[in-house]
Amino acid sequence: MTREQRLAETFVEVADSLIDDFDIIDFLQRLSARCVELLDVTAAGILLADSHDDLQIIAASDEHTRLLELFALQHDQGPCVECYRSGAARTGIDLADPATAAQWPVFAPRALATGFTTTHALPLRLRNRVIGALNLFHTKQSTLGDEDITLGQALADVATIAILQQRTLEQSHTEKGQLQTALTSRIVIEQVKGILAERWQLPLDDAFDLLRKYARSHQLRLVELAQQVIDGTADAALIVGEAGHRPGAG
Amino acid sequence: MAEALRKLGRGTEDLAAICAEALDADGVAVSLVLEHNHTELVWSSGAASTYFEDLQFTLGEGPGPDAVRSGSVVMVHDLLRVSAERWPALLPALDGHTVSTVCCFPLGIGAIRLGVLTVLRHPARALSPDEADDALVLASTLTGMVLDGGMSGSRRDAPEPPRVLHRAVVHQATGMVSAQLEVPLAEALLRLRAHAYSHNRTVSEIAEDVVARRLRFHDDDTGLLPPAGKRG
Repeated sequence: MTREQRLAETFVEVADSLIDDFDIIDFLQRLSARCVELLDVTAAGILLADSHDDLQIIAASDEHTRLLELFALQHDQGPCVECYRSGAARTGIDLADPATAAQWPVFAPRALATGFTTTHALPLRLRNRVIGALNLFHTKQSTLGDEDITLGQALADVATIAILQQRTLEQSHTEKGQLQTALTSRIVIEQVKGILAERWQLPLDDAFDLLRKYARSHQLRLVELAQQVIDGTADAALIVGEAGHRPGAG
Repeated sequence: MAEALRKLGRGTEDLAAICAEALDADGVAVSLVLEHNHTELVWSSGAASTYFEDLQFTLGEGPGPDAVRSGSVVMVHDLLRVSAERWPALLPALDGHTVSTVCCFPLGIGAIRLGVLTVLRHPARALSPDEADDALVLASTLTGMVLDGGMSGSRRDAPEPPRVLHRAVVHQATGMVSAQLEVPLAEALLRLRAHAYSHNRTVSEIAEDVVARRLRFHDDDTGLLPPAGKRG
């Protein structure tokens, strides 16, 4: 498939998804995966600012803890923090450059150790304010061309629109309220990953996949399913069992 | 935990008034969710907000209970213009009371629902985006206070800022400890924090140990056992 075809497919998927009661976490996770394909990067993540202006990871192209932690490190340093504060894209950052390490002494070495050599950060913009950042990682030296940056920014804008389109109880349309709802959904999912991982002695990295597979095949929103697991109204054994894991097998 | 949460309410009348003034509100109230989903008003400013909180939580319906259940902000521009079937018991009971704009900000972390901050205005005036931002920061600060209130007796010199509690590993560990002890998430988080305080380590460090399965909580006096495979 050419990039144009993949792009067209992405936009159809977006249009199909932004309906009345869509699943924001699942949507942003798919969008992150699309970023990886379309921009030819290794990993992508979407970060949102919380009420204290700290960046929190909301969705990533893959849910491995190692990658999630790399995003989490950027609550106070890294290209996303800079991008969020300045509102300007930071692209083609060489993680092996000593100047980068000097600038972000915790983030840069950890990103290198995870196997990445280049990173980019694009702002999630809403009119004149910035609500977060789209973060891209590469395992090889690379630059994003002007076209790539334009496309990346379009995908970041789609993420912003989706976050503000979430159906909330009162359609309050307060922007920060919408961000808060998305962040809360993400936290609920992390809590449930812990419950599933412990109860069935699974790796944490598998818990998200199981939850997502079950939610998709039963047309449930991830956060609804997660809440049901917490409330004890969902049969968690089914979630684990359907995915071919034998409960208790470890 | 209920007793600890109640302590937060003592001597905070000034705080309620300060918050009301800062948010240009005619009433501000904070209610906390205690055991068995029982809700208790811990502080309020203004007779209207006290009455409104009592009514909502007695009837079990209204924007406050909705915010607690959903974990989302609930804003009602004018209660008098809400269709009657939305809150069929609450709305008729408000007849003649001066409550118009109601904004409810949930207190909690993910699925842990600790309570709700309610801002009232009469006559109806929407919160500006900046005021809504302030209310969200206040709700987050109150969440930190409620959690610290639950930690009475093991206070540290430098309490961890609430934002540290927003790391994914802490939420994952909370879920794991909740499954280990078969307790609600709120209690699991308190146990994590209590362990961190008593061992002079950060919650993040303890959470990392739990997630790496180097540390397991067990419901006995010490509260801890080595990982399952290394036991005995």
